[in-house]
Amino acid sequence: MRDFEFLEPTSVVEASSMLADYGDECRVMAGGTALMLAMRQRMVMPSHVISVSRIASLQGISFDPQRGLRIGASSRHADIAQSPLVQQHYPMIAGMAARVANVQVRNQGTIAGNLCYADPATDPPTCLMALGAEIVLGSTRGERVITVEEFLVDYYVTALEPDEIVVEIRVPAPTADFGGRYTRYLRTAAEHRPLVNVAVATRRNGSVCTEVRLVVGASTPIPCRVPRAETFLVGKPVTADVVAEAASIVAADIDPLSDQRGSADFRREIVRVITQRTIAGLFGLDMPEEAV
Amino acid sequence: MNVSTLGTAVPQVNARSKVLGRAQYSGDIKIPGMLHAKVLRSPYPHARIVSIDTSAALALPGVKAVLTGVDAPRTMWGVHHKERRILAEGKVRFAGEEVAVVAAITEEIARDALDLIHVEYEELPAILTTEEGLDEDAPGVHDGRNNISHEIRVNEGDVDAAFAEAHIIHEATYDCHAQYPGYLEPMATVATMDADGRLQVWTSTQSVFLARARLAMALEIPVSRIRVMQATTGGGFGGKMIEDANNLIAGLLALKTGKPVRVVNNRLEDFLACCSSVPECVTLKLGMTKEGIIVSKEVRIIAECGAYSGLSAEVLHVSAMRSDNMHRLKNVRSLSTLVYTNNPPHGAFRGFGGSQMQFALNCHIDTMARTLGLDPVEIHKRNAIGAGEVSIHGWKIGSTGLKECLDQCTAAIGWEAKRADKTPKSGVKRRGVGIAAAMHVSGNRTIGNWDGSTVVLKVNEDGRVVIHSGECDMGQGAMTMLSQIVAHELNIPLSHVYVFAPDTDVSPYAIGSLASRVTMAAGNAAILAGRAAREKLLALAAETLKVEPDQLEIDEGHIRKRDQHDIKVTIAQMAGLHIWRHDGEGLQVSATWDAKTEMHGDVHGNIAPAHSFAAQAVEVEVDTQTGRVTVIDSFVSDDCGKAFNLTAIHGQTNGASVQAMGWALYEQLQLENGRLMNGNFADYNMPTSDAVPMLRSDIVESNDPIGPYGAKGASETAILPGAPAIANAVFDAIGVRITDLPITPEKVLAGLRAQRDAAQEGATHA
Repeated sequence: MRDFEFLEPTSVVEASSMLADYGDECRVMAGGTALMLAMRQRMVMPSHVISVSRIASLQGISFDPQRGLRIGASSRHADIAQSPLVQQHYPMIAGMAARVANVQVRNQGTIAGNLCYADPATDPPTCLMALGAEIVLGSTRGERVITVEEFLVDYYVTALEPDEIVVEIRVPAPTADFGGRYTRYLRTAAEHRPLVNVAVATRRNGSVCTEVRLVVGASTPIPCRVPRAETFLVGKPVTADVVAEAASIVAADIDPLSDQRGSADFRREIVRVITQRTIAGLFGLDMPEEAV
Repeated sequence: MNVSTLGTAVPQVNARSKVLGRAQYSGDIKIPGMLHAKVLRSPYPHARIVSIDTSAALALPGVKAVLTGVDAPRTMWGVHHKERRILAEGKVRFAGEEVAVVAAITEEIARDALDLIHVEYEELPAILTTEEGLDEDAPGVHDGRNNISHEIRVNEGDVDAAFAEAHIIHEATYDCHAQYPGYLEPMATVATMDADGRLQVWTSTQSVFLARARLAMALEIPVSRIRVMQATTGGGFGGKMIEDANNLIAGLLALKTGKPVRVVNNRLEDFLACCSSVPECVTLKLGMTKEGIIVSKEVRIIAECGAYSGLSAEVLHVSAMRSDNMHRLKNVRSLSTLVYTNNPPHGAFRGFGGSQMQFALNCHIDTMARTLGLDPVEIHKRNAIGAGEVSIHGWKIGSTGLKECLDQCTAAIGWEAKRADKTPKSGVKRRGVGIAAAMHVSGNRTIGNWDGSTVVLKVNEDGRVVIHSGECDMGQGAMTMLSQIVAHELNIPLSHVYVFAPDTDVSPYAIGSLASRVTMAAGNAAILAGRAAREKLLALAAETLKVEPDQLEIDEGHIRKRDQHDIKVTIAQMAGLHIWRHDGEGLQVSATWDAKTEMHGDVHGNIAPAHSFAAQAVEVEVDTQTGRVTVIDSFVSDDCGKAFNLTAIHGQTNGASVQAMGWALYEQLQLENGRLMNGNFADYNMPTSDAVPMLRSDIVESNDPIGPYGAKGASETAILPGAPAIANAVFDAIGVRITDLPITPEKVLAGLRAQRDAAQEGATHA
């Protein structure tokens, strides 16, 4: 890896002005799990690396019944998985964070670093999109709040302006009738990146689904909601047939990636199976649990 | 008190230094003025090198040398076929081949300089499959010859007559893919010229003497002008013998620059530089009686060596012949062909060709057992060669614990009960059990007419011992094995024995760590050396104490009269006295043991002093919707003759079974137009601890008559049965026979789809 200057700003504003100063020559480092690999392989060769680890306002996890969950950008996956607040109010997020990549990455990588890298083969974006999470971006110009859908633009591309960093992630407070489930499929037990993942967040009245956000990720360039399946599910009792039909709609509507890890057809088929299992599991229908 | 550790569980003698980060690997070595090298590799599988312009690279500040093919000696290197240059000249034959090398004052500058080397290539049509290579009109990968690198023909008995008498005959073709050895430490070398102009080389290797011989040949300098020292080696698995060019490049740069040069592969470079195992397409035809006795065997193997053949021909010999010796076989005919292509080279890998053939054979036995309504375990046992018998190829079987291995496996996995359940499996997730059995050698007299080893043992004046052996410890435990044997013979604590790392200037000549030969050959030599040293100590003590040597014993640091313990001297006193007397000398002995085996003439002959056996049973769960196969239980039973160190055997057995699971289910090198697309561990998935079940294993001690204290090799056999055991278990679970590895979710789903289609068709016709 080439030599570089290592900068450690202590505020969002300071980090933002550094980013503005160095432009394309610099890279932000959070946990560094992806950045270091890319730098060692010379895929990126920044002259300046700006660490966000000393910015206090990026730390911590808190919960407010009205405003919901606030996950500081610098929270590591392991912090989120182990947070009693997350476990209590958002077991779907805690369970997701406990399975990201591998133990080394979970102990080093951060939630915002993960989102900013925008690698499709990962877990948090799918899960957060289903939960209607928002991302707070900060710069010298102040803060702006955008949704996960707005944040993720394309394969490895986000809506971050060059001088912005992620400050925190906000997840709305769950309603009493909330139900959610996140499922990932690893092609083999030896892989640490999902080939397919599905997140479903619902409000329900008994077995009737009253509101749903259904997101497919890892098999698409960026996680995507499937509106036709969401519309199909709303307002009807969720039976095994309904689940199967919804899963077929999802499989038909997505535009899957096709690469060495899996052809489009294979991914589509797995998306169908995993969607079916996820919704069925959420509504207490008897379906096999997906191994993680 | 007997302080021997033989048969107990002891940590490796070099584990502590590794765990504490103190062990010195080649890449850790720093010498003042040392240069760092980086290699420019061919991006094309086949191309003519039109021109190379290195001027910009040479002009970069900090760059001390840029070498290309014209700077390297003319001599070709290789094993059978001398066909490879240290740096390609004129032509490149695979994507990854070494074209130029830069030495600079830092690794980063060397890396920068690579971008400044301008190579003009004229791309040539590449041969990327064995079919293309075997096409009569195909151009030769190497000039002046066709693409058949090697061919082996075996014809014993009357195969056709035996097939005519067989009750059932089954023929199928199995496809075995290449596997990357995936050791923790990539290839690394530091080379320098000493004050006398001799080349000094620290390298990560399985054989210092084979490395020295190759350096001498490729660099065109005498063997005696080269010193090769084995640095701590982080795994080999066959990949660190004599097929990779890492230490040749370091040696060449040291010669040309006169400076110390460090060449350390990063992981991607290692994927490109290291040989992966030999991919083989095995067509197997077996004839059996209705009792399951194999009466006839016919084999056709088409194997691929890639652009350079390396050790692939030797690997093919093992695939072609070894499994024949497991059985009381009388009729076998085989034709095995090794084919050049423009893919990256293949070669030695743990199991050395055994895995490929055992996959075919064990899948075949399982299939035929089902046809006959027999238990495959019974077929293995009924055909198993026995101790004292001579095999079809003239192998003398001194010991075998194969039947006991099978019994351990079936008991551990609950074979009888799980197989007895004949209800058709239904549901989304289905379980099945599978078993496989295999044999391996402990030594192999095919490199030359010697399969021996020498151990030099010095007793220092404090009564402690230093062992010199040229056999390398690459993590498998050679140093611990030698220490245990010598400590046992002298009845001294293990900590009083130190094994000096192999060094061609100091260590006795040795072949090195391959063919599971080190415990057999060096172990026996260590017994002889230990006994010789003991004899010298006792003789001197007897003279000193004025008793007969046979009245003495070694215990608690003393040599004492067996029935009168106060008549004693210390070992240290005797070691000192051995020097400090008229005509004295330091107590040093040398002992050599050579296997009483034969160089095989054509293909017949007793090449190995002993044979290890292993069996493995697994239980899998197949998700019929996602195609995913999960190994939920695995039990390996290893007949290693006699287990010196339970910890070491456990590690070898389970490590081997994990590597086999990787080959069967997870790992897959992906080539696109001859280029490796997944040379990293994110995309080439080796199993980690969370990808395997709790690994279970046990040991069968068949006490080989030739092995040291009955021991045989114990690091390769256990990799052989894993893949077919898994394939057989998948069949048991879902009725789909997968014959091409790896068993991917896509193949499982395709198999299930074909099964459904066939059932539907059957229903329509009915």
